[in-house]
Amino acid sequence: MQQVLDPKSIPAGCPMHNAGQNFHPFEHEGMYDFFAEIRADVPVFYSPEIDYWVVTRREDVIAVLRDHDRFSATVATQPVVPWPPEMLQSMIDRGFTNESVQVACDPPRHDRIRTHVQGFLNPKKLLSYDGAVRELVKGYVAQMKGKDEIDLVDALTYELPAKTAFLLLGVTDIDPRRIKQWTELRVKLMHGHPTREEQFAAADDLLDFWNFSCDLVEQRKKVPGDDYPSWLLASRGGDDTRLTENEIKSLVFASLLAAHETTSNASANLLLELLRRPEDWKALVDDPKLIPNAVEEGLRYVSSVVAWRRLAKEDVEIGGVTLPAGSKIILSLASAGRDEATFENGETFDIRRKNARSHVAFGNGLHFCMGAPIARMQMRMMVEELTAAFPNMQLIEDDPVEIVGVLTFRGPTRLPVRLNP
Amino acid sequence: MESQNIKFQFVSADGEARDVEGQIGETVMEVAYATGIKGIAAECGGSMSCGTCHVFLDKASFERIEAPSESELDMLDIVSSDRRPTSRLSCQIKLTPEFVDAEVHIPESQY
Ligand code: HEM
Ligand code: FES
Repeated sequence: MQQVLDPKSIPAGCPMHNAGQNFHPFEHEGMYDFFAEIRADVPVFYSPEIDYWVVTRREDVIAVLRDHDRFSATVATQPVVPWPPEMLQSMIDRGFTNESVQVACDPPRHDRIRTHVQGFLNPKKLLSYDGAVRELVKGYVAQMKGKDEIDLVDALTYELPAKTAFLLLGVTDIDPRRIKQWTELRVKLMHGHPTREEQFAAADDLLDFWNFSCDLVEQRKKVPGDDYPSWLLASRGGDDTRLTENEIKSLVFASLLAAHETTSNASANLLLELLRRPEDWKALVDDPKLIPNAVEEGLRYVSSVVAWRRLAKEDVEIGGVTLPAGSKIILSLASAGRDEATFENGETFDIRRKNARSHVAFGNGLHFCMGAPIARMQMRMMVEELTAAFPNMQLIEDDPVEIVGVLTFRGPTRLPVRLNP
Repeated sequence: MESQNIKFQFVSADGEARDVEGQIGETVMEVAYATGIKGIAAECGGSMSCGTCHVFLDKASFERIEAPSESELDMLDIVSSDRRPTSRLSCQIKLTPEFVDAEVHIPESQY
């Protein structure tokens, strides 16, 4: 194996050094152009701003994700800006006992827990929500009728995935906006760059969110239903060596983020790209059979999870470069999705692309997204119902669309459209 | 001790055969990935949540090896290419001596 690379030894002026200097991990504006420019020459580079190595090519991204012997997932949701120890302590003192249960766990713990989760979050069970999700989508779309202009994020993509998550959790008594706000805060604490003040200000809300998850599990202990927490409790069978109650609470807490934040962003990203290209919108209106592939192309072209993290457990070689054990690694799922080695004209959005589904928007390997079937279903149904109800829908071009930035997630905060121009 | 190698064959959707070898205990999906066989996406790395590692076995091998589990049968209900009597998820087939000379046919598409 070649000598490991010390980031400080990368000479200024070399493409790898320049990439590190020019990469702005929290800025989404221009991110895709940046990767398009460097991907051919720079498979991996060091970002001094966050002390992470960044992997740019699809093949390397997949190789790392599949190699759980040498790459640990324990950093996946670690705060990029560490929490102040006194904040963490005060949270623990107040009963915050959340633990890593899935995305940020390695085998064998990961596999033990995933086996329980799989009994509920499996494709067959998720697809059985087909009718209920369709009703939800139709309900939101019906409320849009009769209006001229609307923000699609506000009217649809923001809330709908939270409502779907509630279906899985059997929750009926909370405003989805409350969950969304809690989630945004949590995302910022994990993947953003909050100030110390912001961290402390968020602590109380985070605790409320945790307590909400705990209460949910306590309720299901008393009155079980046909839902995710009840399933986990049954699967545990009162045996801590199988699954503990705290692990179940942590799983519910985790799913209250994983199950909607990503889907909200992915749907809005997809709708934005479709509406930017009126000929594509028209094509889907005329032939709804194209919609499933358009969904895949959306996930490839603008993934909502633009980056995902791993930690090198030993010295590892990626793209011909040897990184030392302990290196923190960002896999650019965004860049992988446009990699020309797999996707011809990768920078072109093409709803008829044959291999669109070869994207890595849902990850790959043992941590592969367990909600992919219901995420896809929601995205498909939103496009189906919107194209059917508003065949002439237009983006209001002059209204700027912002893309919010944290390290890992990307999505427009607003999507203003004219419904019946 | 040298571990025992199991020889078997992948056959692509357009009929091209390729001989491969794997070790006892490895899965057919893992051998496909390690040897660069195309057409087995196996997105979930064998954790049985994707259904993109679907294959068809020759009848004799299908009957010789251990039968699929209940949860594998459930997943086979939702694979993309048409399910056949000898359909399996390649990530759930562990190599055993019974698997020698098996033919593993790869479907048209995994999606
Ligand atoms: C478009 C929407 C979604 C995207 C882009 C997405 C993306 C991802 C990604 C990138 C991972 C990590 C994969 C890895 O580490 O290799 C993941 C894991 C996960 N996702 Fe999703 N996800 C989406 C929707 C959902 C939904 C709706 C649910 C639940 C119903 C869900 C549940 C999970 C779970 C439980 C894991 C952890 C799996 C594990 O660590 O074993 N996701 N997702
Ligand atoms: S690899 Fe996903 S089900 Fe076999």
